[in-house]
Amino acid sequence: MSPELFNVAAAGAKIAFVWGVVLAALLPMLIWAERRVAAFIQDRPGPNRVGPLGLFQSLADAIKFFMKEDVTPTYADRFLFNLAPWITLVPAITTFAIIPFGSSLPVTLGGQTYDVPLIIADVNVGVLYMFALTSIGIYGIVLAGYTSNDKFSLLGGIRSSAQIISYELAMGISAIGVFMTAGSLRLPEVVAYQQQHIWNVVPQILGAVIFIISAFAETNRLPFDLPEAEAELVAGYHTEYSAFKFAMFFMGEYANMVAASALIVTLYFGGWSLPGIAFTGVAGALLSIAVFAAKTGLFIFIFLWVRWTLPRFRYDQLMDLGWKVFLPLSVLNLLYVAILVAAGKA
Amino acid sequence: MNTETIVFALASALAIVFSLVMLFQRKPVKSVLSLVVTFFGLAILSVLLAAPFIAALQVIVYAGAILVLFLFVIMLLNLEQEAADKETRKIHFYLGILAVLGLGGLVTGLTLRAGNPPVPVGNGPFLIPAKDEIPLLGKVLFTDYLLAFEALSVLLLLAAVGALILSKRRFE
Repeated sequence: MSPELFNVAAAGAKIAFVWGVVLAALLPMLIWAERRVAAFIQDRPGPNRVGPLGLFQSLADAIKFFMKEDVTPTYADRFLFNLAPWITLVPAITTFAIIPFGSSLPVTLGGQTYDVPLIIADVNVGVLYMFALTSIGIYGIVLAGYTSNDKFSLLGGIRSSAQIISYELAMGISAIGVFMTAGSLRLPEVVAYQQQHIWNVVPQILGAVIFIISAFAETNRLPFDLPEAEAELVAGYHTEYSAFKFAMFFMGEYANMVAASALIVTLYFGGWSLPGIAFTGVAGALLSIAVFAAKTGLFIFIFLWVRWTLPRFRYDQLMDLGWKVFLPLSVLNLLYVAILVAAGKA
Repeated sequence: MNTETIVFALASALAIVFSLVMLFQRKPVKSVLSLVVTFFGLAILSVLLAAPFIAALQVIVYAGAILVLFLFVIMLLNLEQEAADKETRKIHFYLGILAVLGLGGLVTGLTLRAGNPPVPVGNGPFLIPAKDEIPLLGKVLFTDYLLAFEALSVLLLLAAVGALILSKRRFE
């Protein structure tokens, strides 16, 4: 097998692994987990009938979504109305391409050993690719709100566009600190830096807090789920969506949550690394994947925990927090990291 | 014809066709969406020129932020249809032609004066981007082009303050 062919095969295997795990296994599990965690927090059993511990509940839900009637409002713009769920889902699951989910896996084939880095695409603009994709994802929500021809949807879409732009700024500026210390936008180098020095969360706790809270706003999760605030907007931007198209918005939200958790882990919590452990060989590679999955799972749990614990913000509070608190604080964090770098401390 | 030429042709066709759609579309929302597709075409062209950083910025800043703001305003004011030919003053037409000619001349002149286009490295079909172009770009921006860079940021600040003052006066 020639090296080129091997590279293609390895890339294909990695893509199949990541999307297989994320789409086929993790998203249904996550929806089940959300309902079980919600039930746990509210002191009730939750879905526990379909399969062991209710694990197959999501499967039953999926069949329900497929079977239901797909309604399109009469005066909706058909093309854009049908396009919107795709624009939400596709960027959400594409972001996983640049996240390093493990160290590198040595593969011996035909007497030759290849070192396969466990990342699908190591692009040199790194996390900018992810920011670009998430900013495209907004169009799904905005279009859903606009083309539904419904007041509630429109309000949800308007809120979403303003919210995501406001928090994207704080998120981006606080992430710059990480790239300044690592000296690169590529996520594998960010992880390598944290492996050699210290997890970024320690020196940059302010940036980490801003980034994590902004990630909640970017993924439309409570306490920032104003675009679909059910108490005032029925269901916000997806009020008019039913059956499988609704399921796509639903999966998009969860995929975004997984991507945000993975990014938080990679930027601030050492990615797949643990201090003091060298991840070499096949066992090391598998261990690093497990470490990464465990850390990401922890943050996903925090996402669920916060949702069922905190009430929703008012819209003006949301905007005040984004522009008057987070933006100045993230600039302050940037200055602080710049001073650290200039003093040679980082 | 190699892959690069095909991608170039597709991306430029995308950009040109959708910029025309943007011009002739009467619904403001669809104009904005066409412009998004145009920016995508331009981003692909940047990637072909081995400048993925510019491509990412193009998508983040223009498609992801500025055009979302456009959509926000259009949706907030609920503009359904562009007022059909409200103003058809001749001066607009002539000024438009003048602007197009000026811009066209500028672009032609720059293209003629520019050096040879970059050639793919090795036998690969695409240009290989530099390993780390971003630190280089940062250095150039803050040394050789410092004055222009700062002047541009002051200009943006002025525009923002100006817009604020204009809108305040309207509401008082």
